[in-house]
Amino acid sequence: MKLIDCARVIRSKNAGPTTLSLDLMFESEAQFQSAMKSPSLTREAIAPLYGVPGEMVQVIPYAPALAIKIVLPRKLIAGNPGDKDVYGAQQHGPLLEVEL
Amino acid sequence: MSRASHIDRLRERLVTGGKRAPFRALSASGQLGNGVLEPAFRAGLAREPHSIGADMGSVDPGPNYLGSGKMAPSDTIARQDLALLLEGARAHDIPLVIGSAGTGGAKPHLEHTLDLVRAIARERGLHFRLASITADMPRDLIKAAIRRREVTPIGAIDALTEAEVDAAAHIVGQMGIEAFQRAFDAGADVVIAGRACDTAVFSSIPAALGYPMGPAMHMAKIIECCSIACMPGGRDSALGTLDDTGFIMESLNPMRHATPLSVAAHSLYEQADPYTVSEPEGTLHVEQARYTALDAHRCRVEGAVWVPAARPSVKIEGATRVGERALLLAGCADPRAIERIRTILPEVEQVVRGIVAGDYQMYFRVYGIDGVVDWPTPPTTLPREIFILGEIIADTPDLAKAATTVLKQYLLHHGFPGRLSTAGNVAFPVTPPELQTGTSYRFSVYHVMQVDALAPLFPVTIESL
Repeated sequence: MKLIDCARVIRSKNAGPTTLSLDLMFESEAQFQSAMKSPSLTREAIAPLYGVPGEMVQVIPYAPALAIKIVLPRKLIAGNPGDKDVYGAQQHGPLLEVEL
Repeated sequence: MSRASHIDRLRERLVTGGKRAPFRALSASGQLGNGVLEPAFRAGLAREPHSIGADMGSVDPGPNYLGSGKMAPSDTIARQDLALLLEGARAHDIPLVIGSAGTGGAKPHLEHTLDLVRAIARERGLHFRLASITADMPRDLIKAAIRRREVTPIGAIDALTEAEVDAAAHIVGQMGIEAFQRAFDAGADVVIAGRACDTAVFSSIPAALGYPMGPAMHMAKIIECCSIACMPGGRDSALGTLDDTGFIMESLNPMRHATPLSVAAHSLYEQADPYTVSEPEGTLHVEQARYTALDAHRCRVEGAVWVPAARPSVKIEGATRVGERALLLAGCADPRAIERIRTILPEVEQVVRGIVAGDYQMYFRVYGIDGVVDWPTPPTTLPREIFILGEIIADTPDLAKAATTVLKQYLLHHGFPGRLSTAGNVAFPVTPPELQTGTSYRFSVYHVMQVDALAPLFPVTIESL
């Protein structure tokens, strides 16, 4: 199943101007657990979607909100010349079609 | 006229025999100056809060505000919001705390906010003791810390150099609770602070009253964004009610519900680490936090732990001028041009650089294709229309204008193989289609600096209005 069809929330935002934070939130404990086990949500699988090396990606489960946080460096510091998304609020797109 | 500080008076009201009665903290706005929703704010005042707080700034909107010294909101709405909060706080004789004044929290932002506050006080006949706290970091102190290797990057930014420190337009540090407490000790009714931790705005008074730091900081972290931690989320004012073991979070708009899930989920928001929050005086740990529904509208939270730091540290933020920016706005609905846009733009750029001499940067964002995201693969089908945003940054406004206007003309008339629409490649949505947006800045400082003492960095000034 695609992430867009099973996550309740898929969002992105800067966590400070140097870091991008992506949150996936699920409806149910079962969906959260199955997403946690998916090979598509490892740092190695996510890194090429954002053009960064795997060791720079963190995948952090957050059970109290049935959520998975993905943290990666911004390629440009927010607001630098040529930046496309100062708040980082529209960087979730590459995750939508990920098959779990 | 001398009278007991707000902290002393609140202690008298709330603390008896080592036990503390519930402390009600009204969070008016997470972005003061963008419009406080008045019904929820008034509902909050009706709950007889012990303090009012609002956050007014952030690095979120980018480096230009910190760099230029300008405030992001309009004066009109900033003044309207400040007046609402000042009148509410003075009518109830409770402390008002505003952090990160004027967006960037540097001296010009703080001065501008203070001018607005003074004008409101004058016009409305309000009298109070106003404390202001600056957050501009002494350059020599930062350089000494760099030499001692006590300045560390936060995330993907280079190690800080002394040359970057000199080049920055403004460098601020985020103050913690101790700065606010000094302001109240000096008899403040209203505190307008430069750059500040948003948590300190809400936790400094309860911390001074002896409420446990874990729940006090956790409450501050949740309520500072107002009703964002609710379902559905919104901007309405929020109320935190703190006691000796935890706190209750509720929105002051009855349509917004603080649920265990929505409040727990807020720990994810704009945070790289959902389990810890680092502050100048220590670290908040929420791993053990428990979220319980009191009813459909309110959530009780317990279990956060505060670990004091062995040595204080300050997050420092700085912005440096890059150059003068101009933009070109152009649309396109021609399939042949859209198909070749990735070669047309560099070709036109070459033409421009052949005509306009000098150093300038040129960037294109092609909306409809990859204007927003650097997608890992190209689109499978091309869009019917695209929008092209050209960004030019040069050392002078004249050079930026020269490059942008030549770009405009040669983009319109650029010839390429298979061109159908020989009278013009792009549609300009407005005239002029080139905009000069002024000086542009970049974040050059986003680091943590170890310090020996916080108080000398954040001096408090008191005035009587």
